[in-house]
Amino acid sequence: MTTENNAGEPVIRVEGLRKEYGEAAALDGVSLEIRAGESVAVMGPSGCGKSTLLNMVGGLDRPSSGTILVHGQDLGQLDETGLALFRRRHIGMIFQFFNLIDDLPALDNVALAAQLTGAPARQARSRALELLQELGVAERRDNYPATLSGGERQRVAVARALINRPTLLLADEPTGALDSSSGRQVMDLLVELNRLGHTLLIVTHDPQLATRCATRLVEFADGRVVRQSALEPTS
Amino acid sequence: MSAVWQAARAAVWRRRLQTLVIGLIVLCSSTTSMLALGLLDAATSPFDEAFGEQNGAHLVAVFDTAKVSRAELERTARHKGVEAAAGPFDQTTVTVPKGSPAVPAGPLVVAGRADPAGAVDRVEVVHGRWPAALGEIVVNQRFNVPLKPGALGSKLKLPGGKSLTVVGFATSMSQSAGAWVLPEQLAVLAPAASQMLYRFASAATEEQIRTSLATITAELPKGALSSSRSYLSIKAAFSGQSDDYLPFMMVFGVLGLAVAVLIVGNVISGAVISGFKHIGVLKALGFTPNQVVAVYLTMVCLPAVAGCVLGTTLGALLTKPVLEAAFEGIETGNATIGVSAWVPAVVSIAMPALAALAALIPALRAHRLSAARAISGGGAPRTGHGLRVQRLLGGTRLPRSLSLGLGQPFARPGRSLMTMGAIVLGVTTVTLSTGLTSTLVAFAEAGSSGEAAEFFVRAGRPGLGPTRKLSDQETERMLRSLPGTLKITAGVFVGVNLAGYQQQSLDVHFLRGDTPSLAGQIVKGRWLEGPGEVVVPPSFLSQRGLSVGDKITLTLKGKQAPVTIVGEAMEGGPRFIWSSWPTLAALAPQIPADVYQVQLKPGADAKAYSQAVRSADPGLRAEIDADKGESISTPTVVGFASVFTVLLTLVAALGVFNTVLLNTRERRRDLGMLKSIGMTPRQVTVMTMASMAFVGMAAGLLGIPLGVAGHRVLVDSVGSIVFPESAKAVWHAPQLALLALAGLAIAVLGALPPARSAARLTIAKVLHTE
Repeated sequence: MTTENNAGEPVIRVEGLRKEYGEAAALDGVSLEIRAGESVAVMGPSGCGKSTLLNMVGGLDRPSSGTILVHGQDLGQLDETGLALFRRRHIGMIFQFFNLIDDLPALDNVALAAQLTGAPARQARSRALELLQELGVAERRDNYPATLSGGERQRVAVARALINRPTLLLADEPTGALDSSSGRQVMDLLVELNRLGHTLLIVTHDPQLATRCATRLVEFADGRVVRQSALEPTS
Repeated sequence: MSAVWQAARAAVWRRRLQTLVIGLIVLCSSTTSMLALGLLDAATSPFDEAFGEQNGAHLVAVFDTAKVSRAELERTARHKGVEAAAGPFDQTTVTVPKGSPAVPAGPLVVAGRADPAGAVDRVEVVHGRWPAALGEIVVNQRFNVPLKPGALGSKLKLPGGKSLTVVGFATSMSQSAGAWVLPEQLAVLAPAASQMLYRFASAATEEQIRTSLATITAELPKGALSSSRSYLSIKAAFSGQSDDYLPFMMVFGVLGLAVAVLIVGNVISGAVISGFKHIGVLKALGFTPNQVVAVYLTMVCLPAVAGCVLGTTLGALLTKPVLEAAFEGIETGNATIGVSAWVPAVVSIAMPALAALAALIPALRAHRLSAARAISGGGAPRTGHGLRVQRLLGGTRLPRSLSLGLGQPFARPGRSLMTMGAIVLGVTTVTLSTGLTSTLVAFAEAGSSGEAAEFFVRAGRPGLGPTRKLSDQETERMLRSLPGTLKITAGVFVGVNLAGYQQQSLDVHFLRGDTPSLAGQIVKGRWLEGPGEVVVPPSFLSQRGLSVGDKITLTLKGKQAPVTIVGEAMEGGPRFIWSSWPTLAALAPQIPADVYQVQLKPGADAKAYSQAVRSADPGLRAEIDADKGESISTPTVVGFASVFTVLLTLVAALGVFNTVLLNTRERRRDLGMLKSIGMTPRQVTVMTMASMAFVGMAAGLLGIPLGVAGHRVLVDSVGSIVFPESAKAVWHAPQLALLALAGLAIAVLGALPPARSAARLTIAKVLHTE
């Protein structure tokens, strides 16, 4: 699960980012820089714009104004296809509600992301199985999402996010739908991934998750960054 | 406003596209059903009603008065099984000369009756009155059309210098006579036969009527019965032409209904399934399960009722010209041709009921679903063959977007099967109508002379422009001598009687010269080769229970010509047959040909030929044959086939469109997720299209054999036309390959807009809904 990051180089650079929905501004001139190997937690009250920021960085939505550079690539310059190809290569996403495909078993859910890049089915499944083993859910590989527990589903989702070896992991409330035990397991997983070199951007309400996994805390309110502070990881 | 109504109205508004699709489908289906049921009703009800009102005769039997006495005939009315009887009425046949505004020229059967009433065959006087004195006659008005000016009160001159005044017009649904006079008047006309009119206790089939006739005549002297005619043959003649249309209309009507059931069921069940979250919210709000069902039924019934009202109205408007075409030239008597009230009533009730029924099954599922389960999307752990197929496809070398799309139909097999069913019916319709059009075109070509121009040269008649100067033989010689002439067939129509058949005056087309193009339309037996032969249409045989090889006798003014039926033509009215010139010579050698069918050599100048004919004899008119052998039914049936094809293809495509739309909506989260992990818009389009393309291809392969089989059944069921094998064998490999692609085309057309919309989904918005 290791990645090759040039430590200290900016992976994400956001400048003057603004996103409006009708007359309401979800993001109001956000500027932020995240360097390789960092693990950044974004916190704030509901509706403050933290998930919107994550969507912009992941290329899931387009800003009203401002620029987003990820690995030096201006996402605003890419069309839909370009964004899709960029996500495949550089970004892994983890969602609060897992977003697994109900019609596919765990192994195929993970392999799917690799197959989209053109990897042969056998190779993709082999790599997916490796990841499921590393995440401790290999024995559930043939189960469909509906028969997995929340923690298991999230670990499958993490495996899917990692299969194309992205340098940047974006996690939106990754423990929000989990019980405390499963939540702790996912936190440990994220810490481990960061230790292995993945850059993490985590959106959360959970202070425990932030202090456990992140090295920096960015606090949001009303679509703006109101405070940034370094965090001491707890073990 | 009730909560149910408010929720249903909001749901209709929120799903405008789906509402429109349901409305359109029900509209198309209602129109189709109106046309089919309307024609079916018009072909039977008006005759039955008019026949019943007149207490029509199940059997009109004519007896030779030289062999049987009146007392013996009266006794036949008392036989077991005879419900009622009228007669004996004396009758005779007179020949009406040309020029009468009341009666067409030719043989006319006149019966002697004191009054029009009676236990059987209550003749209805529609104009004027019944004869009250000698010298008066009332004429059977066979067609429900206005009288010619001066017809009532006109003098009917009979051979021998006698003349009768037409004092009235009447109709007899039993067609017991062509005209009626008082019995005293008939005695003056030298009757040779008497007619008895019977109603039987059992008369539903020809077999029952034949059995009753055998019982009646068992005790009569041998040869006493001259002829008989059952009401079933009159009824068959009544619906004869509409029978040409009925099989086509019924098939398209049934196809329309089947498509409607499938699509409405599919659309509505899809609407309910995709609305599980909505159902959950309603239940969480406090809607009872019955109220939820009511919301969904209302949601479906609103567009269904609107579509049905519009479709029924459109169908009613279209039915009128269809019926006019179908009953053109039929002896309808006093039967009123129209659509009974039950037809729009049934369609108006049945179509929304069908839609409601289709909605009820999934709505009942919503009824049972717990609020918590519904609000979470109604998802259940999925297992089974469908998922195994997806997994297998995932392991193939196909691009993943393609294999995911191909696997999608297996994830929801029920819905996929219903969509496939709709496409199958769409392809079946396209196949059927394509085959039908090809058959009718081949049929028309079989009766034409190809590309060469064909003329009818007609001799002018006295009182109608210049008369011919050249005699019959001179005309034929002149035409043969003109440059460009390839073939000439001379002919004349002569009205003759058919011995042994009551009321069976025929128009015989006597022909001489070269073999006409009509000879190519023989489906059984052969064309005329010598004297004493006739060729007849299928309806002539079916209405008289005859077949090729049987012998009949033509009579004209006391002369008889026994003839053999040597061939069966593809089509024609039941009173038109063909015979050769030597046969006419036996009946009336003095009658000249007055129409010359001329076929020109390829490349000959038709205009110059026409002018040459005119200059040779100004009394001859040369007219290009505009029909070239085309049946009057051909353009109508082809027209309807095309309209129904368009309608049903549209409905099938709408069904596919709706299915993909629902699938796309249902899979929005999946699509968003797939895009979030790097699926490009193009891959999303490919995946969505592939899911329907597979269903479309499979449906194409199933629909073609069904369409081919349906085509065969249909062309074999047309009452008055027998298609030759060459006109039925219209299927060729390239054509079938194209038809196979029709399913794909329907699927792709239906899937493209939602596929493109799926590709444009904004991931953040879709995933945010969680």
